[in-house]
Amino acid sequence: MLIYTLKRLGVALLVAFAVSMITFTLLRFSGDPAAAMAGEAATEEDISYIRKHYGFDRPLPEQYAKWLGNALQGDFGNSIYLKVPVAGVIAEKAPVTMKLGAFALTFALVLAIPLGVLAAIRPNSIFDRVALTIAVVGQALPSFFFALIMIIFFGVTMRWLPISGSASWKNFIMPSIALGYYATPAIMRLTRAGMLDVLASDYIRTARAKGLRPGVVLFKHALRNAIIPVVSLSAVQLGFMLGGSIVIETIFSLNGLGNLAWLSIQRSDFEMMQAIVLSVATFYILLTFLADLLNAFLDPRIRVG
Amino acid sequence: MSEIAKTTTVPTAEEILAPSPMQLLLGRTIGHAGITIGGTILLIMLFMALFAPLIAPFDPYDQELSRRLIPPVWHDKGTWTHVLGTDGFGRDYLSRIIYGSQISLMIGFLAMLISGIIGTVMGVAAGYFGGRVDMIIMFFITTRLAMPVILVALAIVALIGSSLEIVILVLGFLIWDRFAVVMRSATQQVRSMDYVTAAQALGCSTMRIIMGEIMPNIVNALIVVATLEVAHAVLLEAALSFLGLGVQPPQPSWGLMISEGKGYMLFKPWVIGIPGTAIFLLVLAINLLGDGIRDVTAPENRN
Amino acid sequence: MIKKTFLGAALAVSAITLAAAPVMAGKADNTLNWSTTREIDVALPYYNNTRELVVIGRHAWDNLLFRDTKTFEYKPLLAKSYKWVDNVTMDFVLREDVKFHNGQPMTADDVVATFNHVSNPDSGVLTKKNVSWMKNAEKTGKYSLRLHLKKPFPAALEFLSGPLAIFPANIWATAKKDAAGKPDYGTVAPIGTGPYKITKTTPGVGVTMEINKDYMSGSPKGKPTIEKIVFRTVSDPEAQVAELLTGSLDWIWDIPKDKAEDIKAMGGTTIINAPTMRISYIAMDRADRAKGTPFAKKLVRQAVAHAIDREAIATQLVGGSSKVIHSACFPTQFGCTQEVPQYGYNPGMAKKLLAKAGYPDGFETDIYAYRQREYTEAVIGYLKKIGIKANLKFQQYKALRGKVWEGQAPFHQMTWGSYSINDVSAITSHFFTKGKDDYCRDDEIKGWLDTADTSTDPAVRKENYHRALSKISEELCWLPMFTYTKNYGFTKDLDFTPTADEIPRFFTASWK
Repeated sequence: MLIYTLKRLGVALLVAFAVSMITFTLLRFSGDPAAAMAGEAATEEDISYIRKHYGFDRPLPEQYAKWLGNALQGDFGNSIYLKVPVAGVIAEKAPVTMKLGAFALTFALVLAIPLGVLAAIRPNSIFDRVALTIAVVGQALPSFFFALIMIIFFGVTMRWLPISGSASWKNFIMPSIALGYYATPAIMRLTRAGMLDVLASDYIRTARAKGLRPGVVLFKHALRNAIIPVVSLSAVQLGFMLGGSIVIETIFSLNGLGNLAWLSIQRSDFEMMQAIVLSVATFYILLTFLADLLNAFLDPRIRVG
Repeated sequence: MSEIAKTTTVPTAEEILAPSPMQLLLGRTIGHAGITIGGTILLIMLFMALFAPLIAPFDPYDQELSRRLIPPVWHDKGTWTHVLGTDGFGRDYLSRIIYGSQISLMIGFLAMLISGIIGTVMGVAAGYFGGRVDMIIMFFITTRLAMPVILVALAIVALIGSSLEIVILVLGFLIWDRFAVVMRSATQQVRSMDYVTAAQALGCSTMRIIMGEIMPNIVNALIVVATLEVAHAVLLEAALSFLGLGVQPPQPSWGLMISEGKGYMLFKPWVIGIPGTAIFLLVLAINLLGDGIRDVTAPENRN
Repeated sequence: MIKKTFLGAALAVSAITLAAAPVMAGKADNTLNWSTTREIDVALPYYNNTRELVVIGRHAWDNLLFRDTKTFEYKPLLAKSYKWVDNVTMDFVLREDVKFHNGQPMTADDVVATFNHVSNPDSGVLTKKNVSWMKNAEKTGKYSLRLHLKKPFPAALEFLSGPLAIFPANIWATAKKDAAGKPDYGTVAPIGTGPYKITKTTPGVGVTMEINKDYMSGSPKGKPTIEKIVFRTVSDPEAQVAELLTGSLDWIWDIPKDKAEDIKAMGGTTIINAPTMRISYIAMDRADRAKGTPFAKKLVRQAVAHAIDREAIATQLVGGSSKVIHSACFPTQFGCTQEVPQYGYNPGMAKKLLAKAGYPDGFETDIYAYRQREYTEAVIGYLKKIGIKANLKFQQYKALRGKVWEGQAPFHQMTWGSYSINDVSAITSHFFTKGKDDYCRDDEIKGWLDTADTSTDPAVRKENYHRALSKISEELCWLPMFTYTKNYGFTKDLDFTPTADEIPRFFTASWK
């Protein structure tokens, strides 16, 4: 187990490293950080001064090495626009996005798992069809469109829910649904498939033969086994949500990383963008790493691979 | 004699008259609800896209400020001249939806093509050669999966400017991951098959083996992923255009139409409802088709 | 019709209102929540030239003089009296009972220090025209000072009653250093003498002002009654409207014509359409600052002028009392005249002109804008009809301003409110005297404007402004578009009157 953990950790670190390098290169090639930093009232001299002072004229690998060196010590540079350390701003905004992600995943799970289980218990029945229809429909609806429809209906027509800001937990209801429902079909299908497999297995048949009540069989035994791949998938989906929250956050004016990314993009705030992409990637890597570990712990066969 | 009869399968009368595997496939295809519905919708969209200049009642760019925001024909202020109403610049909505299908389909298809080539090459290489090659390619895939696609796409487009062509390229170079993963897994399964080992034993070149033995057997999976990635690209373009960093105005991208209509959505919801429904129907059709193809060609992969 | 009734009924009937409790909103807590879609990054006059700061500037700071909103006469504010010694020298006697928000009493030292700081080009004040006419100020007594002008400047009183906020003398020394090592004056504390004091600023999020209990008595600004004024940036216009309708915002403006009409039809919110002094214009790079731009050709500029149906945009998109204008100024400004070359909507002629210019099949270009993108999109639609494919580059104001200054925006549509100063020098002279915003770069025009700016003879001023405006319209360095009207939307509990200068005065507003 330990060796497996170390191997996965090594890979995770390498991936994080690669992501930061690629992002750094892409951003540097797409724009001029010196001009962005100097602001609009700047003269050519100001821009050249900044270029020299901050080392933007050095070769790219050297710039990256410097960034990396600082980053490893926790210094992600200063936001070009806000003029304060990037790390601080990200730490400030990250909780909103995490909250959003957590709520969204919860919504997805609460919807998907029961549906998946129901569909598995009665395959090809009306439940199954309804569940699959929800899955198919859910994946076809663009999330921003869904968000806008909800705003019109629940926010304005019915006035039930607040539509912008992050003042209370109610502000997260619509955004979580808009962000989370896209993960529902995948989770539901996986749950259904896993349940179908497990329910047909010898293990379950033995349990039933032993006379255990169906409810106990279902939850204590079948679901526990079927849930293992769902954990992995949920981690991946959560990672995607954190990365894809930008559209939802801008629509609902939530002050999280997605919104920050959007603003930083508009302001050409390189340092911030680099750090945000890296943060989101790191969350994803961390989530998948933990999911891998959990899987390996629960299912020893995986460790050998 | 009876053993020979049992081991050499002499077809019975029923078997000779029964439908061939191809016919069975066709039968399953047509009978499959998903494929029928999805296919029909997609055909309609393709028809719209191909014959847009013939069937669109107006020029989608023709703005006429005196006829702004006319509601669709089912409202009491609607009129049959503009069946789906007009937008904030007086442009006929039906015409814009029709021409918009060109944009969605073109981006979906081309982005799929680019990402498909990249992803398939990587996936097949990883699956066939295994070992070091597989490790490196898996690393690339994992790295790509860790990067938040939409953030990176937005950042790039914001910095270098955006247009239809750039969107296609950016998307194409970013969404190859599913191709790679699925093709890798499919190739791995096929690689150990008898006919592949036979070809290797015969000394066929790698290229020949891949193109001759591997590809034909993974093409089903490829088609399924390809259809799903078209849908993926359509949704991503819609999101990018909605944020203003995709197709640029005055082009009639459906995502852009939602963005332009947002200002009117509180009191005139049809301005975003119509393009949103169009995107929904297209993606639905593609997904149904993709699911259907998968069901029909390899039912055991259903889940 | 169906949709409107449905919406109205649903809103009226919705009993279950689980909407988040409005954060300190409205009459109930004597707090006015107002919002625009723009962010305030620096909450200081001189270092932020957005409209939001003009508004906040009037609330938290005072000028020497006050311009009456109805009669336009100049009344004393911080200065008890003023006198023109000669046409380049002014004397002021100040009130002796004024305190800054930090308790410090205001004396002539503060006014002198403010004027000397802002008139110094190294101080980086954003709108140079506001301060470049001043030479220096000197103290003549504890509460009196003398202001020296560089040249005669008749509009001085306009500026002294508008954007020239008075700061404490010692404030500039507290500035932090920026990335290039120079002092960044945008970082000093927002201390003024106005009826409200700024108690909290969160850059990019909001600014909170609270009533200044020690505000000087007998001020023409009156005595404020609203306890707290909270500005919050709500970047999404639909969210703004929704918040207004549900009560978490009390006051918004800049509502597009259609939405305003719909909200008004619903009832329950006050909607007022008021004129402003803001104009929209399209600038074209006659001076070829961008090197190689088609707009350097006069025929191209003329084609553009004839291609756009400005009347339709003004009536259908802007609405209210918006009018098409033909010269680079606001019609009521002193020196402004519409008797200049005019261009009518004539797409046929536009195409011919374009062909004559050497572009029979049109050309492709970028067009820059930063607000009301639908107006620019309408322009793009008209240009497309004559073959010009314009790609919209919609940017934040600051970013676009920078591009304009660098000469990298040969075709842009922007606006100017002239700081609500009713004199042509606040607009035409800003844009056409070879400064950073000037894409005309014409010595003749500059000459006329400089003369008009510094003459004390109204007839001479008018004559020279007329010449400059005529040539600007002849050369089409600008295609003047239309006047802006503004739709204000606010809670029925509020008694508020918009003014034509686009500066909402919450210090004279009250709850009903």
